[in-house]
Amino acid sequence: MAEGTVLLEAKTSSILDFERFVDGVDFLEPGERDRLKVAGGEILDNIVKHASPLYLRRIRARAARRGSTLMLGFYFRAPSFASFACGEPLSGAAEPLFDPAFRRWRGIGLVMCRNLARKVVFRPGEMMDRIFLEF
Amino acid sequence: MTQLDIIVRNEHHRLLLSVSGPINSYTFTDFQEKVYKAIAQMDTAVDMEHVTALSSAGIGVIMTAMEDAETTGHGFAIVNPSEIVRLAIESTGFGDRFPVVKTLKQA
Repeated sequence: MAEGTVLLEAKTSSILDFERFVDGVDFLEPGERDRLKVAGGEILDNIVKHASPLYLRRIRARAARRGSTLMLGFYFRAPSFASFACGEPLSGAAEPLFDPAFRRWRGIGLVMCRNLARKVVFRPGEMMDRIFLEF
Repeated sequence: MTQLDIIVRNEHHRLLLSVSGPINSYTFTDFQEKVYKAIAQMDTAVDMEHVTALSSAGIGVIMTAMEDAETTGHGFAIVNPSEIVRLAIESTGFGDRFPVVKTLKQA
């Protein structure tokens, strides 16, 4: 099994570190790299925005290939994220909505993740919360 | 490349924004500001050949710009998108609604 990991700080600029990490994972094909970057970036963005305060303010990301399956996992500890994620259909159908107050579209990121990954799973835990994407 | 660079120039009565680098939740505000300003003024084309990442924040800016273009009557096009931009657009599930063209002449 090939794998790579990176430790990220819980801040918006960590998306740049995550993209650099994905660029440096040597077992990815170019198309896979793009998929991980786009889908993983959306998940990381959600964790940073909705999981604060994070325990130790750190998120671990791990990319791994097992056979023909490519996995991307995010590991963090944040009691508040589980309650947020309960209202977010990580694998169900949801339509993006336009927020006129902020002139922003909401909910596009998770739609993108669902369409890019074969599976998106959130597993809350007492010691660690985990989000897995399977490609 | 971790920095977003946007060069704006007037070309044949149209604003051309040449974007390089990642458009993500950390960098998208500069993209948003320049695209919204451009589309309010005149026809706008965004060259995305050298974009290295595109998040939902960037997709949202493009979608809002498409609506602004309809409202103002100005043209709007995405020119020669990189592979990752194409992937991000397709992943929305309604990629066919985005005004993507291969060359500036087609815009």
